[in-house]
Amino acid sequence: MKTQAKAVFRGYANVFFMPEAGSGIVVLGVTLLCPEMALAGAVAVAASYGFARMIGMEKLFLESGHYTYNPLLVGLSLGYLFKITATAVFLIASAGVITFLATVFMAGIFLTYLRLPVMSLPFVAVSSIVYIASIQYASLPGLMYAARDSMACDVRLPFWLAGFFKAFGAVLFVPSILAGIALSVVVVRHSRILFFLALLGYYVGAAARTLMLGSAAQGFGDVNNFNFIFIAMALGGIFLIPSITSYLLAVISVATAAVLTDAITGLWHYYGIPAFTLPFNVVTLGAASALNAARHPLVPGTACNTPEETLRVASVSRLRFGGQKRTLHLPFAGRWTVWQAFDGQWTHKGSWRYAYDFVITDEHGLTHGGGGVRLEDYHCWKKPVLAPVPGRVAQVVDDLPDSPIGLANATDNWGNAVVIEDARGFFVEISHFASQSIRVKKGDWVEAGTVLGLCGNSGYSPQPHIHVQVQAAGTIGAPSLPFSFVSYIHDGEFKSNSLPGEQCAVEPLYRDKRLDSITNFMLDEEMRYAVLRNGRQVDTLPLTVKMATDGTFYFASPRGQLYFGKHEGAFYMYRVTGADPWLPLFFQALPRMPLAYREKLVWSDYLPANLASSGLRSRLADLFSSVFHRLAAVRVTQTFTNENRIESMIETNLACRRRTASAELDRHKGFASVTVENVTLKLEKNHA
Amino acid sequence: MNKFGCSPAYARRIRDDIDGVAVADLVETFGSPLFVYSEGFIRKKYRQMHTAFSTRYPNVAFGWSYKTNYLNAICALMHQQGSLAEVVSDMEYEKARALGMPGEKIIFNGPHKPAAALEKAVREGAMIHADHLDELYDLERVAQGAGQPVPLGIRLNLDAGIYPQWSRFGFNLESGQALEAVRRIKNGGKLRLRGLHCHIGTFIMDASAYSRQVKKMVAFAYKVEKLFGFSIEYLDIGGGFPSRNRLKGVYLTPEIALPSVDEFAEAVTETLSKELRPGDFPKLIVEAGRAMVDEAGRLITTVVASKRLPDGTRAYIVDAGVNLLFTANWYKLNIEIDRESGGVNEQSIVYGPLCMNIDVVDEGVQLPPLSRGTRLIVSPVGAYNQTQSMQFIEYRPAAVLIGESGMVDLIREAESLPDIIQREKLPDRLALKKLP
Repeated sequence: MKTQAKAVFRGYANVFFMPEAGSGIVVLGVTLLCPEMALAGAVAVAASYGFARMIGMEKLFLESGHYTYNPLLVGLSLGYLFKITATAVFLIASAGVITFLATVFMAGIFLTYLRLPVMSLPFVAVSSIVYIASIQYASLPGLMYAARDSMACDVRLPFWLAGFFKAFGAVLFVPSILAGIALSVVVVRHSRILFFLALLGYYVGAAARTLMLGSAAQGFGDVNNFNFIFIAMALGGIFLIPSITSYLLAVISVATAAVLTDAITGLWHYYGIPAFTLPFNVVTLGAASALNAARHPLVPGTACNTPEETLRVASVSRLRFGGQKRTLHLPFAGRWTVWQAFDGQWTHKGSWRYAYDFVITDEHGLTHGGGGVRLEDYHCWKKPVLAPVPGRVAQVVDDLPDSPIGLANATDNWGNAVVIEDARGFFVEISHFASQSIRVKKGDWVEAGTVLGLCGNSGYSPQPHIHVQVQAAGTIGAPSLPFSFVSYIHDGEFKSNSLPGEQCAVEPLYRDKRLDSITNFMLDEEMRYAVLRNGRQVDTLPLTVKMATDGTFYFASPRGQLYFGKHEGAFYMYRVTGADPWLPLFFQALPRMPLAYREKLVWSDYLPANLASSGLRSRLADLFSSVFHRLAAVRVTQTFTNENRIESMIETNLACRRRTASAELDRHKGFASVTVENVTLKLEKNHA
Repeated sequence: MNKFGCSPAYARRIRDDIDGVAVADLVETFGSPLFVYSEGFIRKKYRQMHTAFSTRYPNVAFGWSYKTNYLNAICALMHQQGSLAEVVSDMEYEKARALGMPGEKIIFNGPHKPAAALEKAVREGAMIHADHLDELYDLERVAQGAGQPVPLGIRLNLDAGIYPQWSRFGFNLESGQALEAVRRIKNGGKLRLRGLHCHIGTFIMDASAYSRQVKKMVAFAYKVEKLFGFSIEYLDIGGGFPSRNRLKGVYLTPEIALPSVDEFAEAVTETLSKELRPGDFPKLIVEAGRAMVDEAGRLITTVVASKRLPDGTRAYIVDAGVNLLFTANWYKLNIEIDRESGGVNEQSIVYGPLCMNIDVVDEGVQLPPLSRGTRLIVSPVGAYNQTQSMQFIEYRPAAVLIGESGMVDLIREAESLPDIIQREKLPDRLALKKLP
């Protein structure tokens, strides 16, 4: 029963793009301003749910908000129209069932073919149908039209303010200022950005209508203006990551919707039905499908509870996990130098622009000792070439000769080569191996780091070097695709996933067994930390290792969860949930750690701004971060000061405050201590 | 410059400068004899060796073998290049710590580690390589006291085809002693094995010995991982790589007789890539000593007298002998002269200054007639001579380091009487004069 109630409340809250059941209770409260309508809404939802349950689609109903809010809005619209009588209840209940079917039908089409949510289109369709149908029932004794006057006990406000609140309430068919104020309070509490968008949408829309209708009273007073509010909220904060662009898109869409609203109301009015949320649905879905088609970079990858959080997650993950999805290890060991990168000046052009060439240079910047006339003079000559990805060897060419220095083979450009098929759906080609040096054969499975052969000078190669590229096809020399390199050092800095520039000296890092086993947490493993503030114990923090349904591991404390994992050569803290005050300290002190140690190795990472600061500072960062996305994340610079110690500098964005943090690894397993400013979490050793 | 062409009667090797600094100036400022080290050479050699291994295997560390030369300046130079410290006694351990090396960057080898030294090393997180069972028991006691398991490595000895086989250090592999030691570690429950160490010998002239060593070490590591669940985080293959020095009795020159660094690196890393499981990269630790520093060191010594022996052989007495040139026992060292000298070469003996019959620097070297005061430049002497030089009969001389820009730094002062007697106590009843 509790689950059902929660799902239904969530559905109520969803009308205003809010996901929490708590806000839904307030929405329900607002509908209670007119108890008859509230009852009608409840009847429609109940009928809809009952039917879903009967045909075994209960789970689907409870999972997704639109199965609740569509019948709710249908119920409210009918409750607005009719007094509650037995006949009316029958009509409302059947409308509820129709709404469920319409929602299933439309949602299927929308999700499959348009990759869009169905929003409140089923409501518009069903309510319009029932309104039209009810013209036939005008003379029915069991069905009485109600005269709703929600203005009875309303406060007085100037028209431009009253209009906003009324419009806000109007979506629930309660166009009252009080209802609008109550809903505003809930929305403000939930998300400042959403409320700002509501204001923006209303005033831009009302101004546009004033312009077109020539009357400010009409322009600002029309209840249909709630459509503008919803268009702005959806496009400015839900379908796009909040930003200047999303706000601009919201303004433009609202302005164009003014005309559309006039057209729709005009047409619908002819049949005596209100426009409902049709203008909102048409404009929002139109814009959203255009954004999808454009693959707009601001379309969020994961939808979160609030636009603020969407923005934070998107900005932080873009900063934290940049780079391509086609990831390669550097195809060698030790320090090599990038000779030619993407779009290189010699051969990395056109179809083959996504490729890298590597050579070894000495302290004088030369690729060879001696005179540089013999192949043996070259530092990289016959050095091992390692597999950059795990996969199946798809092609091997091994019998071409090494060209003498200065004489490149222009017939067999690619020289001796290995092509590896990566299970992620692409091929990696490595070229210019020394003649007869390749040690793998077609069909072999290789791991990243397996020796494939030796660096040589076969093919179109003026001096010995390694060429690597990613292709969509397995044939040698197929057109190249973009990729990036993981887990390497450039200039003393650890790069998790990036592309080094030309002339950069880079060295791959392979997982070190020591750090690997220190971070090898087992399910149900337990740890206890003493929480010390200024050296005095204030609390204890017990942790247990658990696994989430999606397979990620987390440290569970009694009050929260800290998600972590290892990915391509680094250990990561992913996110903190719950209300534990101490768990975020782990995240702050060690958002990531390379799984290989080098003295004084430096790397940087980003924390969600709300994790690094709290209270007003965090709220301000949230609000301004939609304009300056950088404010959503806080940079952390970390350094290995010894093989078990990491020191960090957390740079807060506002008020330029710097904070220090450190993490000490245990010699055997996990973190011996974690310190952020004056708070230290210290592992309590189990002496048993 | 040899204006006499290539005739053996007139061929001579003349060196009047080291890294651009005149031999005469060096002696004038710092005296004779004088150890001279080249910073440029050491850095270049380190880079060369490190590159040879690190471009063939992705997880490589070097450990500077202190006993080879533990002058602070030399050790600091190695550490600056990125080397760990490899020490074999409490004294060397303390020396590394005093130099500023943290415990976790010290590899603690050697057959004698006093209990107190072990306790300190455990506390400071050093990489301890146990040499024998008694040391395991000591370590278990330390672990008991510390209340937590102690990570450690063990030293193995094995047959890598080298004669004589070094079997006195560590636990023997083939006899099963090593496996028993690991079983003991596991059953004791107080120690955690995390690394294997093995040093097959010194001045190894056959690269394939390292292949055989590494193959056995990897197989043993996997066996231990499988049987006892330990994770072998590193394989320390020791050192033993030869320098470009010439063993007595070896006819060929070192350039021809000895494999290059690249050949050694290839033997090790090829075997690793064949024997290790794909994607498994335990850290490879290389403890190069001699090969790293020998050629960086020279000793300048001065002819103090010449003699004709009864059998007619020409002999010279110089101011440095086996008190400073311990390795002259087995190497035929290069002897260069600092100035041109007329006359035909003659088979000559070079004697040191000690009043001991054994003090011979070279029993037979072709030298032109040398006048008193001629400087001989003896090389390569960077490895083992400084550390094994004796306060015997003579004072020990100064040592200087020539920097890459040509500046000369004194890195050890010449000794004087207080260095010899400061630790001595003379009972009052034996005093010859009233002490102030």
